[in-house]
Amino acid sequence: MFVVIVGCSEVGYYLARALVSSGHEVAVIENDPQRCQFLTDGPGIVALQGDGTDTAVLRRAGAERADVVVALTGADATNMVICQTVQHVFKTPESEIPRTMTLVKDPKNEPVFVELGIDVVINWINLARSALEEGVPGHPLRHLMSLRRPGAELVCVAIPSDADIVGKQISELERELPPGNFITLLVKRGGAVPPAPHQLVEAEDELIVVTSGDYEQELYDILTGA
Amino acid sequence: MRMLIYGSGQLAAGAVRDLTEANPDNQITVLGKDRNELERLSAYPGVSVVLLTEPVMQNYRLDAGIDQVNAFLALSDNDHENLMLAQIARYMFNVRHVVCHVENPQLQIMYTAMGLNVIGYTTGILQDIRQGINAG
Repeated sequence: MFVVIVGCSEVGYYLARALVSSGHEVAVIENDPQRCQFLTDGPGIVALQGDGTDTAVLRRAGAERADVVVALTGADATNMVICQTVQHVFKTPESEIPRTMTLVKDPKNEPVFVELGIDVVINWINLARSALEEGVPGHPLRHLMSLRRPGAELVCVAIPSDADIVGKQISELERELPPGNFITLLVKRGGAVPPAPHQLVEAEDELIVVTSGDYEQELYDILTGA
Repeated sequence: MRMLIYGSGQLAAGAVRDLTEANPDNQITVLGKDRNELERLSAYPGVSVVLLTEPVMQNYRLDAGIDQVNAFLALSDNDHENLMLAQIARYMFNVRHVVCHVENPQLQIMYTAMGLNVIGYTTGILQDIRQGINAG
């Protein structure tokens, strides 16, 4: 696979090294001349100094034949412009490549970038938050992903054994949820089931719920409150 | 008309002056990063200002009412931020009138072709320079 990385600070550098050591071909575009020289000195990485939003620079780096272009500058807006430039200039209607990827610093930009057609958007704040939540013993709410609608999130809530909602039907519970919040999946010990109205909520069930930042605390209180 | 302007520099200030003179009933909110520039603009009738400490955070954009305006003008001196906010206004919040200022001629052409209402003078200036050289 041939990967072009635009913006090569720590994340870009370690990604480039990891890709090269896995046998992939990597070209890097970096605006800072000193950093670019440092990258060129390393084994296996082709580094090009220039503005990664410039079509000519992208073309010199080989974006036309790249499988993936990864935008990793420090600014979400610049990463968006890089990905849109690649899509507009180098992607043909018949081809899925080059695919565009970026990281977002502001988690709220994730649904925006997805809506604007960037192929892969990685929200590292959410990734880190999910990992931390997983690591905290007994933490009942985990963020799974951001949805396209601004502010909307998919969360997983583990129901404590002493929660008020244990023994209630899904239909009854849904009436208590904040506006715009709804249950999408019920995960029981035996596996996942659709949230049918008559289904009873039991201790240690997990509910997968669509919520928004505004109502997250209220949702948490309803689902876990004793 | 309710309008939201991103940027508080010379171009934004000119737009505020022009729009308030054209119609004193216009309600304009200016988002900017420079406290002094915002203070000057807040003196115009019907103009409110929001100081941004972190320009890319969407909470500020929502607080400023991007979902309730008739027009959004991205007029800062940062092409990339203008392009991102203009597309958010247009595609995420369906703002009816969106204008985006872009200095980079390549990006002007590309985003115009993508259907964004892009304004910028660089392309025209470059043409003038070429004509001037040819005429000389």
